[in-house]
Amino acid sequence: MSQAAIIALHDVHKSYRLGEHLVQALRGVDLQVQRGELLALTGPSGSGKSTILNLCGLIDRADAGDVLVNGVNTKSLTEKQLTIQRRDTIGFIFQSFNLVPVMTVAENVDYPLFLNGVPLAERKERVAAQLKAVGLHEHAQHLPDALSGGQRQRVAIARALIKRPTIVIADEPTASLDSHTADQVLDPMRERGHAEGAAFIIASHDERLTRRTDRIVSLLDGRMQ
Amino acid sequence: MKLITDNITWMTFAFHNSLRNHRRSLVTVAIAALGTAGILLAGGFAYSTYEGLSQAAARTTGHLIVATPAHFNVEEDVPLQYGMDNAPALQQQLFSDPAVRYVLPRVDFSGLISNGDKSTIMLAIGIDPEAEFAVKGPFLTVKEGQILQANSTEAEIMLGDGLAKSLKAKAGSDLTLMVSTVDGALNALDVKVKGVVATGIPDIDKRLVYTDIKTAQKILNTQRVSSLGVFLDSMQATDAAQQRIGHLLPTMKVETWLDEAFFYKSVRELYNRIFGALGLIISIIVVFVVTNAMAMAIIERTREIGSLRAMGTLPSELIRSFTFEGMFLGAAGAVTGAIIAISISVLLMIFPVEMPPPPGRSTGYPLLITIDAAMYVVTLLGMIALSMLSSGMIARKTLQQPIVDALAHN
Repeated sequence: MSQAAIIALHDVHKSYRLGEHLVQALRGVDLQVQRGELLALTGPSGSGKSTILNLCGLIDRADAGDVLVNGVNTKSLTEKQLTIQRRDTIGFIFQSFNLVPVMTVAENVDYPLFLNGVPLAERKERVAAQLKAVGLHEHAQHLPDALSGGQRQRVAIARALIKRPTIVIADEPTASLDSHTADQVLDPMRERGHAEGAAFIIASHDERLTRRTDRIVSLLDGRMQ
Repeated sequence: MKLITDNITWMTFAFHNSLRNHRRSLVTVAIAALGTAGILLAGGFAYSTYEGLSQAAARTTGHLIVATPAHFNVEEDVPLQYGMDNAPALQQQLFSDPAVRYVLPRVDFSGLISNGDKSTIMLAIGIDPEAEFAVKGPFLTVKEGQILQANSTEAEIMLGDGLAKSLKAKAGSDLTLMVSTVDGALNALDVKVKGVVATGIPDIDKRLVYTDIKTAQKILNTQRVSSLGVFLDSMQATDAAQQRIGHLLPTMKVETWLDEAFFYKSVRELYNRIFGALGLIISIIVVFVVTNAMAMAIIERTREIGSLRAMGTLPSELIRSFTFEGMFLGAAGAVTGAIIAISISVLLMIFPVEMPPPPGRSTGYPLLITIDAAMYVVTLLGMIALSMLSSGMIARKTLQQPIVDALAHN
């Protein structure tokens, strides 16, 4: 295991029960992600991409094997410790944006800072800067419903990056976007990732996205190819 | 400071969430409002009834009753066996207490009353007429004739209207009272009917005879009185005055109107149970409605909740948010319900509604709803607390769903 790896998966197994059937989602996966790396996970549906994202994002636990984040084996962490870890170090970008509809754009972006207890004055400054960076400062007081799909995804990216996470988990971030809009969301991700040293783990079928990442990991039937 | 600003942020979030589904929120608020109004109106009616009954009880006996201890505890073998010999001196002593307004001597006795053709049982009270009827106020209705006069030269009585009807007597009729004296001898006295009264309780009015103290003492052949009814400047002064008078007259026993108010206590006990059960049922309905509304809200927001948890929101923070949401719905319902209850109570004061006589009574009474500040505060806080509790509980239960499953929810 490299000491520089921000995330390390060792011989990770994970299965799900789907009705009567037990589905083997991951079968002994070993994966390391370095700080500042943009990693793309590709593979057909059911190959295990989302499961790896869930494990790296600390929203699920492996049945067997180890998941290390910043060198800490997450197996021994309580649910509360995992939540605090996510709050402090992990940003999420969801395929369907998952913005809170009753919050304005600024409030959505502010939410992770609020959770982290950042003082209000600093939050306001950082939110304004973040929205400017993704070109949405004029929409700060709009509700998400008033935005286009691309704009919403940029809000989601701003929300994921505002707390300067060391890990960003992105699940099909361009799946619901047209090609022009996809470029609009990819560029800030790539720029911010490299600039701030955040590791991006992106599950995607989108070649426009994967060819712009640092590394591509292909999965099939729960195994790395 | 941070705790306050954090809570304000969670409250703002909760407030916006509570407005998401207008129709559902409106139904929840409406049911909470109706529940609150129902509790406040029922409680206000009970309070009003208690107040009326307590006033009636106090005006019947006096706020305090002073008598020999045996008068309260031991059955008498002959009339006034345990009566008081020195009533005028005791009266003077009682007037030294600053809260005492009237001290009314009473002579309780029973016997037969006859019109010559028919004799029937009477329960008679010898009273100080002017003061007695002054303090009775609206709780005694003169149906016919006049009230007794203290300086009358004739032996006069007032009859309950049921008894007057039974004896076919009216104002000016001559009747005869027959009683046992304090020595155990039989005595009779011819009396004139001065007036006919009604207490509103037919069972009492069928036996009731009022006469003045002197007439009562004359027929009983004694100077004793049964008890002294002490009327105070307010109901609230009762307990303190009981203590003071107890020390002032150590050989006497002092009871309060409540000790003698068996009807009041029975009604209060009955109403407390009825309205307590009603309140409980309404509270359960409100809990179910709020729980249902919050459960639907939580199910609708499952994926959003999953996202918030993935971002690092602690379950306790989400529970707090949902609890605040319940608080807003509960508070809106409670305040609306209070406004409805106050409006109805005020309307009933402006446009009185007469209720039919209750069982055992011959007269109706105005429907009044007391607006009691303490009851309103307790009910509103209770309603809000119930809404918060039910929201928090359902949120707590639902948040146990794994984040991965919540994010996959459609």
